[in-house]
Amino acid sequence: MEFASNFSDQLNVGLILPEGIVVATLLAVLIGDLILGRRAARGLPYIAIAGLLLSIVSLYFYWDAENPTALLGSFSGDDLSIIFRGVIALSTAVTILMSIRYVEQTGGALSEFIAIMLTATLGGMFLAGANELVMIFVALETLSISSYLMTGYMKRDSRSNEAALKYLLIGAASSAVFLYGSSLLYGLSGGKTILPEIAQGLAQVEGGELASAIALVFMIAGIAFKISAVPFHQWTPDVYEGSPTPVVAFLSVGSKAAGFALAIRLLVVAFPLEQPQWRLIFTALAILSMILGNAVALAQTSMKRLLAYSSIGQAGFVMIGMVAATQAGYASMIFYLLVYLFMNLGAFTGLILFSLRTGTDQITEYAGLYQKDPLLTLGLSICLLSLGGIPPLAGFFGKIYLFWAGWQAGLYGLVILGLVASVVSIYYYIRVVKMMVVKEPQEMSDTVRNYPAVRWNLPGMRPLQVGLVFSLVVTSLAGILSNPLFTLANTSIENTEALKSASTFLEETTAQNKEVSLADPMAPAIVEK
Amino acid sequence: MDLAQGVQFVSFIILAAMMFSAALGVVLLRNIVYSAFLLGAVFISISGLYLLLNAEFVAASQILVYVGAVNVLILFAIMLVNKKEAFPALGRNWLRGGATALVCVGLFALLGTMAISTPWSIADRAGVAAEGSVIKIGKHFFSDFLLPFELASVLLLITMVGAIILARRDLIPEEPPESGLTETEAYKLQERPRELISVGKSESEDQS
Amino acid sequence: MNSGIDLQASFIESLKTFGVPGGAAKALWIPFPMFLMIIGATVGVLVTVWLERKIAAAVQQRVGPEYAGPLGVLQPVTDGIKLVFKEDITPAKSDTLLFTLGPILVVVPVFLSYLIVPFGQNLIITDLGMGIFVWIALSSITPIGLLMAGYASNNKYSLIGGLRAAAQSISYEIPLALSVLAVVMMSNSLSTIDIVEQQAGYGILGWNVWRQPVGFLIFWLAALAECERLPFDLPEAEEELVAGYQTEYSGMKFALFYLSSYVNLVLSALLFAVLYLGGWEFPIPLSQMADWFGVSPNNPWLQVLTASLGITMTLLKAYFLVFIAILLRWTVPRVRIDQLLDLGWKFLLPVSLVNLLLTAGLKLAFPFAFGG
Repeated sequence: MEFASNFSDQLNVGLILPEGIVVATLLAVLIGDLILGRRAARGLPYIAIAGLLLSIVSLYFYWDAENPTALLGSFSGDDLSIIFRGVIALSTAVTILMSIRYVEQTGGALSEFIAIMLTATLGGMFLAGANELVMIFVALETLSISSYLMTGYMKRDSRSNEAALKYLLIGAASSAVFLYGSSLLYGLSGGKTILPEIAQGLAQVEGGELASAIALVFMIAGIAFKISAVPFHQWTPDVYEGSPTPVVAFLSVGSKAAGFALAIRLLVVAFPLEQPQWRLIFTALAILSMILGNAVALAQTSMKRLLAYSSIGQAGFVMIGMVAATQAGYASMIFYLLVYLFMNLGAFTGLILFSLRTGTDQITEYAGLYQKDPLLTLGLSICLLSLGGIPPLAGFFGKIYLFWAGWQAGLYGLVILGLVASVVSIYYYIRVVKMMVVKEPQEMSDTVRNYPAVRWNLPGMRPLQVGLVFSLVVTSLAGILSNPLFTLANTSIENTEALKSASTFLEETTAQNKEVSLADPMAPAIVEK
Repeated sequence: MDLAQGVQFVSFIILAAMMFSAALGVVLLRNIVYSAFLLGAVFISISGLYLLLNAEFVAASQILVYVGAVNVLILFAIMLVNKKEAFPALGRNWLRGGATALVCVGLFALLGTMAISTPWSIADRAGVAAEGSVIKIGKHFFSDFLLPFELASVLLLITMVGAIILARRDLIPEEPPESGLTETEAYKLQERPRELISVGKSESEDQS
Repeated sequence: MNSGIDLQASFIESLKTFGVPGGAAKALWIPFPMFLMIIGATVGVLVTVWLERKIAAAVQQRVGPEYAGPLGVLQPVTDGIKLVFKEDITPAKSDTLLFTLGPILVVVPVFLSYLIVPFGQNLIITDLGMGIFVWIALSSITPIGLLMAGYASNNKYSLIGGLRAAAQSISYEIPLALSVLAVVMMSNSLSTIDIVEQQAGYGILGWNVWRQPVGFLIFWLAALAECERLPFDLPEAEEELVAGYQTEYSGMKFALFYLSSYVNLVLSALLFAVLYLGGWEFPIPLSQMADWFGVSPNNPWLQVLTASLGITMTLLKAYFLVFIAILLRWTVPRVRIDQLLDLGWKFLLPVSLVNLLLTAGLKLAFPFAFGG
C-alpha cells in the first residue's frame, strides 16, 4: 500500500483535470453527433464551449498547486502552463463561436470540425505543460495533425486542399527536424527525456558543444515553424489564405500561444547553459519577423492575407520578450498574448462576418461600411487599432510592456526596431479603418452598397455577435483596466519554479566557468538581473 | 571477435550498404515507382539494423507499419495517379542539382563530424536482451510514458475521424432549406463551389 | 516441465565430442532446419495441390487425377516439372527487373514465416520471443511484391489485380492481427510455443477454440482473404481479370506465385492449429496417459512417441483446415469487391475490436480461465 499511495502521489493525475474535461467534451461532441444526428447536433458547439469554459474554471483551481509535476514528471502544471493553457482554451472557445455559422454555410460537417478543433486545443494545452521530450512530441503532433485536418476541411475548395497539402508537407519536415534535435538531446544527456534532467545531463558532458548547438538549432527550427517566425514562415500566407477563416484565427492565436509556451519551457529549462546562443537566434528571428511581416503586410489587398502577415509581425514583437530572457520579459510575453488573443480574434470575427455577408474579403470592398453596419465597423476598427498599438487600447499596453522589458534587458536596437515596425504596422491597420469609416456614401463600394440587411436572428449569427461584442469590450477595457491581467502575468512567472531554478542553475554553472556566457556580448543582461 | 560478433559486423556492413544505396536511389532515380519500391528497401534495412540493436519488437513494427502500410499506401497513390507528364526541361539544371548536392553534403559533413566528435554518454548499457523488449516497452507505456501513450490514443481517434471526413463523399440531404437561409448571392462564400450529390438508393455506386 | 527431445542441443553436443568449438557447431547446425523448412513446405504444397484436385473432383462427382502414381499422387509433381521446364517469357514492354523481383518478394516472406511454426516443444526453427508478430509483420511485405508484379507486367488486368490484392491484404490484416492479439492477451506472450503451452493441460477442452469462438472465425475468414482463396479470390478472378497480377507470368515465375499461395494456405492452417487448436497437443493430455500406464516421463521411447505424435497432430489439424478451405472453394460463390471491402472494414474490424475488448474484460473477471 505504501508503494501504491506513493505512486499515486507521483502520478498526481488531478493536475490534468482541465485536459480531461476537454477530452470528455470531445467525446461528447463526437458521440452526440453520432447518436442524435443532424437535427440535434445544433447544440453541440455550445456543449463544446461550455466544456472549454469549465476547463478554464478548473484551471483556476490548480493555480499555485503545491506539487506541480504530474505523471512522473512528464507534465508540469505550474502557473506558466496554466496561463498558457487558459489562453489556448479561451481562444478555441471564441473560435468556435465564429465557426458555427461559417462551417454551416460552407457546407461542412460542423460537429466533426469542432471535434478536430478540440483535439487541436488538447494538443496545445498539453504542449504548454509538457515537461518531457516524448510528451512534447506527441502533443506537438496532436496539435499539428489536427491543424492539417482543419486546414483541408473545405475539401471542395482547391485552395483549401492546396493549403492543407503545403502545411502537411512543411509541417512534417519541421517535425522531423525537431525530432532529430530531441534525439540528439536524448543521446547527449545519457538517455534522459525529462527536461530538467536533460539540463543536468548536458552540464556534465564535456565536449558536446557542437551536438548541443545542433540540437538547439534544430529544435528552435521546429518551434519557429509553429510560431511562423520568418525564415520558417513560407507556409503561412498560403495556408492562411486557403484554409477556412476560423481555422486561421485558431492558428494565429491558439497554436501560436502553444508554440511560445513550448519555446519558453524547452529553452529555459533544457538549455539554460546555451542561453546566449538561443537569445542570439531569437534576436535574428524577431528582427526578420518584424521587418518582413510588417513590410509585406503593407502590400496586401486581401484582408485575410493582411492579417496573416500582421500575425507574423506580431510574433516578432512577442519574441522580444523571449530575447530579453528575464522574468519581466516572459511576463510581458504572456500579457501580450492575453491581449493579442482578444484583439486578433475580434479582428477575425469581423472579417468572417463581413465575408459571410458579402462573400469577399478584399480590403477595398470595405469602403463605407460604417453607413451600413456600425457595430461591425466599430468592432473591427477597435481591434485593428489595438493590434496597431494605438494608446488607450489593450494592444498599446501590451507593446509598451514588451518594449519596456526589452529595454530593461539592454536590447536597445531591437526595441527601436520594434517601435519602427509598429509604426509601419499602424499604417496598414489604419488604412482599413479609414476605408471603412471615412469614405463618403458616394465612395461606397458596390459590395457594401448591396449589403444585406443586418439580421442577427439567423441561425449561427448570434454567436458571432456575442464573439464580436465580447472581444470588442475586452479589447477596449483591457487597456485601461489592464492591472488584473498584468498581475496575472507577473505572478504566473514569479510562481513558476522551473524558470527560477533554471536561472539559479545558470548562475551556479556560470560562476564555475565564466568563459561560457561572458564570451557573448549579450550576456551582461542576465548578470544585471 | 568471436563468430557472433563477426556475423553481427558483417550484417551491419551489408545492411548499411543496402540502406545507403537504396536511399540514394530513392532520391536520385527519375522513375518515381522505382523510388517508391526502393523506399521499401530502405525501411527493411532499417528494420534489420534494429534487429542488430536487439530491438526486435521495433524491427517487426517497422516492417509492419512502414513497409506494410506506409509504403503500400505510397505505391497505391503512385499507381492510381501514374500520369506521365512531360515537364519542360529547366535551364541550368546542373546548377540546381549542384547546389542541392552541396547543401546535402555539407549537412552530412556537419552531422557526421558531430556524431564522431561528441562524447555520447551511454550510461544505460544493460541491453533489452535480458527481458523481452515487448515487456519492457509495455512497462514504460504504463509508467513514465503513460501520458503520451494516452494522448496518442486521442490523436489516433481524431486522425481516423479526419481521414474519413476528408475521404468520404458528402451526401447532402434533400431537405427544404430553412426560411431566411435561401441561397441569395450575398450569402454565398468563395469556398462554396460544390456539386450537389443527392442521396439516392443506389448505395453500391457510392461505396465503390 | 519435460521439454521433450531437443535435436539442436543433441546435434551440437555430439559435434562437440568430436572437438568442434561451440560456435562453429551452431553454425553447422543452422543450414539443416533451413533446408528442412523449404523441403517440408514444398512437400506440404504438393500434398495440398493433390488434395485440392481430388476434393474438387469429389465435390463435382468426378474421379480426378488418376494415372500419375497411385490415386494420382504424382500429379502435382508432374505439374511442377512442367512448370520448371516451361519457357520463361518476359513480355516485351514489361519492366524486366521488377517483373522478376515481384514473385521473389511474394515467396520469400511466406517461407520465412515457417520459422515460427512449432511442431513440438523444441521442434521449431527459432523460438523468437515475438513469434506470431513476426508472421504478421512478414505477411505485410507480400502486397509490395504483388503490386510490383502488377505494375511491371504493364497490363491493365495485372495492375488492377495487384491493386486489388494489396487493398485486400491490407484490409484483412487488421482483423487478423486483432484476433491474434486476443489470443496473445490470454497467453501473455507472443511466442508460438507459449501460446501452445497455455492451451495444454486439459486436452481438447483447453484449446482456444472454446475460449475464442468469435476470434477463430474472424481469424479464418481473414486468413482466407489473405491467401486470396475463393470466396475472396478477387485479385485473380478469372471472369473479371483474366488471372490478375499473374496474367503475364509463365514458367517458373508463375510457379513461384502458385507455390506461395499454397504455402501461405498451409501456413495459415498451421498457425490456426497453433493458435486455436492446441498446436501439437493430443486431444487427451499425453503426460496423463503416460501416468495411467505408469510410464516415466523421461522414458526415451515416450519422448520419441510424443515428438512424432506432436508432428502428426499438428499436420492433421492443419490439413483438416486445408480440407475446409478447399471445400469452401468449391462450394461458395465469389464475393464482389465492394462486398469484400465492406465485410472487412465494416463487419470484421468492429467485431474483432469487440472481441478483443471482451477478451480483456473476461481476462480480468476470470483470470483462471482466460490466462490471468
